[in-house]
Amino acid sequence: MYGWIWRHLPGNVWVRALIALALVLLVVYVLFQYVFPWAEPLLPFNDVTVDNQ
Amino acid sequence: MRVVVRTLSELCITVGTLICLFVVYVLFWTGVRADGAMNHQIDVLHDQWSKQTARPKSTAGATGASSAAPAPPAPYVAGKPFAIMYIPRLGFTWNKPVLENTAVSTLKKGLGHYAHTARLGQVGNFAVAGHRRTYGDPFVDFPRLRPGDAVVLTDGTTWFTYRIDKGPYKTVPTDVEVIDPVPRKSGYTRAGRYLTLTTCDPEWGHSHRLIVWAHLDSTQPVEEGEPAALRR
Repeated sequence: MYGWIWRHLPGNVWVRALIALALVLLVVYVLFQYVFPWAEPLLPFNDVTVDNQ
Repeated sequence: MRVVVRTLSELCITVGTLICLFVVYVLFWTGVRADGAMNHQIDVLHDQWSKQTARPKSTAGATGASSAAPAPPAPYVAGKPFAIMYIPRLGFTWNKPVLENTAVSTLKKGLGHYAHTARLGQVGNFAVAGHRRTYGDPFVDFPRLRPGDAVVLTDGTTWFTYRIDKGPYKTVPTDVEVIDPVPRKSGYTRAGRYLTLTTCDPEWGHSHRLIVWAHLDSTQPVEEGEPAALRR
């Protein structure tokens, strides 16, 4: 999977590493901004009320 | 075969990294975001209050004695802050905004006031919920609260000092009677100006709730400065 991505990135090793780093940061950003906020309420930490509103 | 093993191991590493990132998000990042959000809510309140106090003064000069009758208080707006809570036992710098209603999105920005309970300082039960863990851990030290501790709130015009009478009391999540106007197990027998705080228990779980009850001890206008409970 990662080897496949690496082979399909353009440029020499340094350009590839830079693009790979950017991709990683993009993935982390999407996770923290959209995926985790969606998943977090599924955990029990939000249940602090007595009437479950 | 080699490709299958490699893909499988790459998948395992990816899932592991994902889980680690999620833990970082829950333990650390929600706190960072919540601290920012809570500070922002407090700033919003201070902005509002500075405008409020500026206006009566200017009109008082123009209209004289006619401004003696205070305007009826504005209703709380869902998801918006209306007060700041101070609990010296949880730390001298501990202060959190109180927002209207207890929706998940509201509790990310501060403490939540149960929408159908009494207003601050009024007869009835002013009930507030807060996170024990995650989103800034506002009530992480909740079990340290003891009878006699002060819970101080301000709505910009008045300081309200509540004194804790009972708690922390452990109950189940369906026990809605704890936020009744006269909570049954609190020991109160007559209608009064009460305050109830709720959070989850155990720290990282949701099987129980921790409750403390307090009664309104004293009030004073903000012009008189901070109440004694907040002075060091």
